[in-house]
Amino acid sequence: MSSSTLLLSPAELAYLHSSLSLTTPAPIRPDGRSPTQFRPLTAETGILPGTNGSARICFADGTEAIVGVKAEVEKTPVSPYEFVASTEGRKDHSEKKSRRKSKKAENDETSMDVDEDGDEADSAAPVKMEGSPDWVELSVEIPGLRDDDSGTVFLTSMLTEALLADGEFVKKLWINRRFHWKLYLDIILISPPLSYPLPLLSLTTHLALLATRLPRLKSEADEDPMFDDDWAAATFLYARQDSEPKATSTQSTVRAPASRPPITLLVMAVGDNIIFDPSKEELAVADSAVAVSVAEGPSSLNSSESDPDSTSTTTTKRNLHLLSVRTIDPPSRLTPPGVPNSVNATAWGTMTAATAAAAATPAGSVASTEGAAKHPDARVDETEDVVGVWKAPRGGAKFAMLGAMVAKVLERGGVADEVLDGLEGVELT
Amino acid sequence: MPLDTSTYNLALLRVDGRRWNELRDQRGQMGVQPSADGSAYLQMGNTKIQAIVAGPNERDASKTNSSASTAATAGGLGATVAVGITVAPFATVDRKRRGRNDKRLQEMQTTLAAALAAAVQGQAYGPRSTIHVSLHVLSQDGSLLAALVNAASLALVDAGVPMTDYLVACTAGSTSSYAAADEAADPLLDLNTQEEQELPFLTLATLGASDKVVAMVCESRVQLARLEGMMATAADGCKGVRDFLDRVVREKGEIMVQEGAVGRGEVVSSMDLD
Amino acid sequence: MPREAEPSQNEKDFVLKAVREGHRLDARALDQFRPLDLKFGDQYGVADVTLGKTRILAKVTAEVTVPYTDRPFDGIFTITTELSPMASPAFEVNRPTETEVLLSRLLEKTVRRSNALDTESLCLVAGQKCWSIRVDLHVLSHDGNLIDASCLAVVAALRHFRKPDTSIEGDTLTVYTPAEREPVPLSWLHSPFCITFSFFGTVSVGEDEEKDIWLLDTTRLEEQLRVSSCTISMNKHGEICQVAKPGGAPVEAVTVLQCSNLALQKVKDLSDFVDQKLAEDSKRRNKGGLLAELSAENAR
Repeated sequence: MSSSTLLLSPAELAYLHSSLSLTTPAPIRPDGRSPTQFRPLTAETGILPGTNGSARICFADGTEAIVGVKAEVEKTPVSPYEFVASTEGRKDHSEKKSRRKSKKAENDETSMDVDEDGDEADSAAPVKMEGSPDWVELSVEIPGLRDDDSGTVFLTSMLTEALLADGEFVKKLWINRRFHWKLYLDIILISPPLSYPLPLLSLTTHLALLATRLPRLKSEADEDPMFDDDWAAATFLYARQDSEPKATSTQSTVRAPASRPPITLLVMAVGDNIIFDPSKEELAVADSAVAVSVAEGPSSLNSSESDPDSTSTTTTKRNLHLLSVRTIDPPSRLTPPGVPNSVNATAWGTMTAATAAAAATPAGSVASTEGAAKHPDARVDETEDVVGVWKAPRGGAKFAMLGAMVAKVLERGGVADEVLDGLEGVELT
Repeated sequence: MPLDTSTYNLALLRVDGRRWNELRDQRGQMGVQPSADGSAYLQMGNTKIQAIVAGPNERDASKTNSSASTAATAGGLGATVAVGITVAPFATVDRKRRGRNDKRLQEMQTTLAAALAAAVQGQAYGPRSTIHVSLHVLSQDGSLLAALVNAASLALVDAGVPMTDYLVACTAGSTSSYAAADEAADPLLDLNTQEEQELPFLTLATLGASDKVVAMVCESRVQLARLEGMMATAADGCKGVRDFLDRVVREKGEIMVQEGAVGRGEVVSSMDLD
Repeated sequence: MPREAEPSQNEKDFVLKAVREGHRLDARALDQFRPLDLKFGDQYGVADVTLGKTRILAKVTAEVTVPYTDRPFDGIFTITTELSPMASPAFEVNRPTETEVLLSRLLEKTVRRSNALDTESLCLVAGQKCWSIRVDLHVLSHDGNLIDASCLAVVAALRHFRKPDTSIEGDTLTVYTPAEREPVPLSWLHSPFCITFSFFGTVSVGEDEEKDIWLLDTTRLEEQLRVSSCTISMNKHGEICQVAKPGGAPVEAVTVLQCSNLALQKVKDLSDFVDQKLAEDSKRRNKGGLLAELSAENAR
């Protein structure tokens, strides 16, 4: 998965692996961090005035990404089945809807929502805001990789998946029944891909989305949209908590005041240890690696989607919910194994007598190394763990381990919390 | 010709308020990317480029001359300079995605690689080494090729690659359209997108402040008589750009010396590059 | 990837020394073209250019298609170049080399972007029907100076080409066969030609004065040894359509200006040459002129 090859010898890998799998008192990471500690990063937003939102993040290892968000107004294709589909989707609202429809036919734009409760009634729009995943287009550009490289495609789909997972995001792009915003997210990795770039790209996208502003809508209802020329009046796609939501602003600001874009974190496990923000050296010895996407939002409609673990955290100050979990194929699987002394052809001193004798005979000298490898004991040595000898991990992660990793991400005051706090501190320009 | 040439004739000011021989606001920064061997950020007006230099590395035969980058050999038997350009889809006013096989980009890569190869002292490295220059266009507002040349030059200085002089480039246009044969046309320096679309222009890359032309690209129809004036204007612009780049490098050097005097470990390691 | 065979060190030294002293291997002057020949095929729009040992064939075809949605009033005009292994072992099929990309870009800029062909005249029904003119360029033999020869071939072929006549009555578009109506030439605005200068470093002239050495119409061998090149495209009215000096060793600005003035001279020569050849060809096709055609006499 990792795009750059890492030159570590099996012995180095073994050393790294054993120091990372220490349980008492704690794993020792090469850079002295604690298992849950994130590396420092520098971030800035609003670097490109030509975009609706942009951000740049530099990780401590020197990797850097820039994300630019551009929005275009697009016509929503009207499908004759749309109404039917939306009523079916929400049975509890179907009655209200049909009532509303008939009312609308009668007295058009008058206030007909007096008798209704619920947040929908308060919103200015008489129809449900719906979004389509097609309204967001995300592209990832990694230097040195082709656009259709499997790595790039995987990154793109993972980032898209996290963004679209709760279905809330695309609703923000709704303008009226006939028009919507089409949002283009272009993610560019500036530096060469030194480590697995997923967390970097995800955090940069998060910031860029936070900084994204859309022009303020001046037209009403289903007219052709007209926008305010004044950029200062533009509204944030994700409403800021401190700024007062304007009555005239798009409905999204009213609907989901506290929600924020998702972030995807990379978590890896070595032995029984769960390690966050792995460097590329650490990733090279991971037993398993998981990309966990979480988002912060109101105690959402989609609790069914989220993991049971997250329901316990719904009471915390920050309401995190799980969006997706993806296992990443760690580069450790491709590392060459170490050779235990017992089968090492160059370590003659430890050879068994039989093979040593075979080696001594002149005719067998060529075959001796093969003989050593084919020796039944040696076979066992190769497949079994030998302490201090590196062997690429085989098989998947244990289920309990995966659960623990996800729980650790969602933990109150955990890493996701910490990262979101950190990103909150970034000044939006 | 939608450019309001009448306004220009009256006030002798361009649409963005510049005089004919004025460069746009330029900003440059070196060493913006800690993980790269050399990096630079350059801004010419609203054209913003980030350049990353990797190498000199051992030549990777599979990577050079692929569609992602184009290579040219510097100084006969010297190192190869490989250039890759990525234009961010959000760089233009209307979002537009460019494929890697865009011929315009490929031509630009070839021109850049060959131009940089002329300035780099390639013989300082072996013939089997490659210097990779990757350029990211973050925002585009005219004089793209010129900005790319200047950014690459600055990044190569940051990487400590020996060069005979800065390779600097600038554009120059002419206020007259190709059809009009009036001789009173003024040359203009450092064009933005709007001007580029309406006026004939050329990009000139010179070696330092000399009149030596390393690269020259003109893609529009223009009277032969205009060529001299445009070239002279562009060459003057190149001198201005060279002074600017030199200032950026000197400022960076001063900072490095100052910090080096304090004895910070990090600064010393980046000084080692030189 | 196959590579071109490089000349030996002796060959290099010999050629370079000769050029410095003002001689070329084929005894040409430094600014002299090789013998140039232009033949037209029996069909309209086929031009065969021979320049020394370089030979290039251009063929123009036309068909009626739908215009691009963003340019409803313009026809479609494309130039495709193919450098096949036939021309040089260094070329591969389906894998554009740098030479090929540069060549096609140069032709594009010289002929297409300079509006040599009026694409608006190719429009038949706005937004629905237009002519698509396509030039296929085949390099049959590559012995240097591909660019100048290719450009000449493209321009000659396009000027020679006749597209079927059409008429529109109401909503019906009629395309006439050559038997019904004489095909019509394209609406041609000006004829640009490329002149490529190859630079070979400098020689000192007198006291610390240096002069750039340049050659015109280089052979393959000379091209492999040059330090940089500059292609200037112009028409005979002295309008520059394109200048490209893609990097390479630096050259004095004054030299570039001198080159551009000389290019104008050469372009006028080439322009006259093509005019003359076209005139000869039309004479050959149209024996006896209009009178012969109107005459009722026949060979019986």
